[in-house]
Amino acid sequence: MPDFKIDIRARLEELGLSPVREAEIVEELSQHLEEEYERALSCGASEEEARQQVLEQLNTPDLLGRELKHVERRAPAHPVTLGTEEKINIFADLWQDLRYAMRTLAKNPAFTSIAIIAIALGIGANTAIFSVVNAVLLRPPPFKNPEQLMMVWENATHLGFPKNTPSPPDFLDWQRQNTVFTGMAAMAERSFNLTGVGEPERLDGRRVSANLFDLLGVPALLGRTFVPDDDRSGAHVVLLSHSLWQRRFGSDPSVIGRPVILNGESYTVIGVMPRSVHLPAYGNWQDKLWVPIAFANEETTERGNHFLDVIARMKPGVGLKQAQAEMETIAARLAKQYPRSNTRIGATVTPLHEEIVGDIKPALLILLGAVGFVLLIACANVANLLLARAAAREKEIALRLALGASRFRLTRQFLTESVLLAFLGAGLGLLLALAGVRVLKTFVPSMILQIQAINIDGRVLLFTASIALLTGIVFGLAPAMHALDSNLNDSLKEGGRDPAVSRKGNQLRGLLVIGEVAVSFILLIGAGLLINSFLHLRNLDPGFRTDHLLTMKVDLSELKYPDGQRRSVFFDEALRHIRALPGVQSVAVAGNLPFTYNGDSASIAVEGIPDPPPDQWPDVIYRAIGPGYFSTMGIPVIRGRDFTDQDKADSKKVVVISEKTAQHYWPGQDPIGKRLKTGATTSHAPWREVIGVVKDVRQNDFIAQPKMQMYFDYRQLKDPAANALVVRTSVEPMSLATSVRDAIWDVDKDQPVADIDTMDHIVSEAIARQRFSMLLLGSFATLALGLAAVGIYGVMSYSVAQRTHEIGIRMALGARRTDVLQMTVKQGLRLVGIGMLVGLVAAFLLTRVMASLLYGISATDPITFLGISLVLLAVAILASYVPALRATKVDPIVALRAQ
Amino acid sequence: MASPVPDRELKKGSAELMILALLEDRPRHGYEIAQLIELRSRGAIRFNVASLYPLLYRLEKRNWIRGRWVERPGQRRRRYYRLTASGKNVLSKQRAGWREFVEAINLITGIQHA
Repeated sequence: MPDFKIDIRARLEELGLSPVREAEIVEELSQHLEEEYERALSCGASEEEARQQVLEQLNTPDLLGRELKHVERRAPAHPVTLGTEEKINIFADLWQDLRYAMRTLAKNPAFTSIAIIAIALGIGANTAIFSVVNAVLLRPPPFKNPEQLMMVWENATHLGFPKNTPSPPDFLDWQRQNTVFTGMAAMAERSFNLTGVGEPERLDGRRVSANLFDLLGVPALLGRTFVPDDDRSGAHVVLLSHSLWQRRFGSDPSVIGRPVILNGESYTVIGVMPRSVHLPAYGNWQDKLWVPIAFANEETTERGNHFLDVIARMKPGVGLKQAQAEMETIAARLAKQYPRSNTRIGATVTPLHEEIVGDIKPALLILLGAVGFVLLIACANVANLLLARAAAREKEIALRLALGASRFRLTRQFLTESVLLAFLGAGLGLLLALAGVRVLKTFVPSMILQIQAINIDGRVLLFTASIALLTGIVFGLAPAMHALDSNLNDSLKEGGRDPAVSRKGNQLRGLLVIGEVAVSFILLIGAGLLINSFLHLRNLDPGFRTDHLLTMKVDLSELKYPDGQRRSVFFDEALRHIRALPGVQSVAVAGNLPFTYNGDSASIAVEGIPDPPPDQWPDVIYRAIGPGYFSTMGIPVIRGRDFTDQDKADSKKVVVISEKTAQHYWPGQDPIGKRLKTGATTSHAPWREVIGVVKDVRQNDFIAQPKMQMYFDYRQLKDPAANALVVRTSVEPMSLATSVRDAIWDVDKDQPVADIDTMDHIVSEAIARQRFSMLLLGSFATLALGLAAVGIYGVMSYSVAQRTHEIGIRMALGARRTDVLQMTVKQGLRLVGIGMLVGLVAAFLLTRVMASLLYGISATDPITFLGISLVLLAVAILASYVPALRATKVDPIVALRAQ
Repeated sequence: MASPVPDRELKKGSAELMILALLEDRPRHGYEIAQLIELRSRGAIRFNVASLYPLLYRLEKRNWIRGRWVERPGQRRRRYYRLTASGKNVLSKQRAGWREFVEAINLITGIQHA
């Protein structure tokens, strides 16, 4: 039989058809010609005659080509699997790819759901953390042109305060002399006792310059804000916060113009501010109301009294550097003018946004990095799954390539599949993130003011979509490249597999496992360091017994209790009532409880020691307390005595100092009987005799080393510095909250009792930020460990499945089950070992960025490194042990027959 | 091969109709179609490869017929064409149109029905 195919093909050449189409036509037509040939033979023609007869049909010049041209050239796109058309219709192809991808994914529900869950976990964690970053770091404060708003500080770096609060006269000089700001406003924290409406309540508030809200560009929600006239002394007007207006005044718009009693004085409500007003504050201070700052005369002259926060708006076109330079010039001028108070005092200008964000920024960025790592691990896992599947699809791919599909086209098909997978994962991840954000909100430290602003907005969605796209490309590219890198001939052969190719696939899978292990090692080390650091914090000795302590703020009104005498009458009576309650062991008057306030401090002069130069006055923290405070708090008195009822306003002035103060001023001597006073030796303050030495207590800062401290008897102070009570109980402290409050109200029904809390809770709040970082990083690291374990497990399972034949041979030749077990586990551990080595080096370099978050341990803490290595190793052994166990169950006969 | 065909144009115009009609009962492959046309026209009409297959492909592109490779045990696979639903539609319309046309020609030329 002559071969007509060559003749037919010659006539099709011009058309440039796809090989597949051409092959089809050639097959069909040659069949036809062969039958004609046979018929001609059967009709008696010779072979040559028959051949000629048949070929005649093709010989009408170019007829076949011409006729086919009309049909074939107009042909629409061929199926992807076969096509190599020059012309590419991107959208038609994309739609086709998508449908194909959906079909492929639907065909492998197990694979698809595992991949989607892994991606969802990664993307969900990223979206949740990004929503916090978005709310806290990226969203500008809700003020007009927020980038122009700055905070201006006094720079007293030589005293350890690079950003110190300036005094009123310094602020007024800054305000007058600067040319870079359109305005400058001061704020000072002040608490107010609200009485006369319902229960008395102590409220955080602030005295502010009249121009503050104009400067910020925030109008009042109701009524008006302050006008310059309000700032003159004695203008009793008040602005309410939205929350206070809602809670205490039932959102009543007619509150404007109504009088309220604050600290015993009548103020007129002139406005209600919108909910969005959040000013930078210390600790848990949350402004509920604002009054004009109206400096008193003595305030405007005392340069040693530092208590103002200053906000300023830069003029358009002025930069931070220029503002900083001018403020430094002004500060230098003031230092010359007032050497006693201002020597070496500079000025620092910082963006307001930075101050609001505070030092949560490094923690957030580290968390964002951590979830990025989690996503990488999830990607590696999915890439691994895809690789295993690509190996299974090797033949399909080879066939498509043989049929003329272009590599580009196939890569696109692969990527469409992985990106589709990523978006499905992202969808589920978004749901996880929504739930995650809700959880986050409950334990984000309260100092992050934007807590309510944390939500999934357009920017977060865009972020999620972008990482989904990126993720899809990242984990889809490797399998696609690998799949296309195979040898066509070998793949197509029945049962054939190019050992080089599958070795390459195994290498790639191995690399992914190494990467996963390395990255999760870094995360685990990070989390381990934070946990370790947190344990250090928890075990810090605050210097007193925190258990069974009930605390509350009892701010006395200066009008009602203007002097120590009247205050002590109130407190003595209150203490008597409280002491009588069952469950109360002891009770004492306190001033500024530890960790609730950046407390007062003063410089002191010591009798017999010359005053230091003006810029070298050490700061001593002071507290005003009453008798029994040390025993109630559990602060040991080391020498001398506690205050007693004999220490009164008119008796000899006395002071109790801390160990550190004693060592600083009287090293190696007995300080009892020595005398000191606040301010310089020449100041009008009275000399006070040291009557006792107590152990150091962590006062303002739970984490920093205790500073020098001293204690005054509150009855011997002019200012109402005692503002709290501490109660040691024999029962659960909070169970006494109501009865203690009622006991105080028995003495004065208008006296606000605020912030009733246990000392244990106050301490735990003091390390809330550390707990927040630790919990989050800890959970991400656990997630990473889980994903890595699944990754190791997957690769080992695949490898065992691949080697079933080999294992069968080994066992047939006499290998024992333990040998097989060992061999397989060893293979897994080799990958894990390399991964851990890489992770170790990387962690060593990366954990340095965490140094600022760590307490009590170094960023390269060997115990953490060792402990985490062991944990990871244990998980890795387990993850490769299970597939290894399966390998030992291989029946040699079945395994050998399989191939 | 000299063809006793009436006229090339006429043949081309009616070729579609013939193919569709032949596929009305059951699917057939290309050679069978060519054979049947030759047989039923008593040798008056013959297609050669170069014109039959382009026509089949065209009908297929128009979605009037659908070709499919069919394998039978012990035989080479062959491409069978069957009439699609829209092909059936076209066939009945073309048939009616052709009948009208022939009748009109008859009326004019006075040729009687065979």
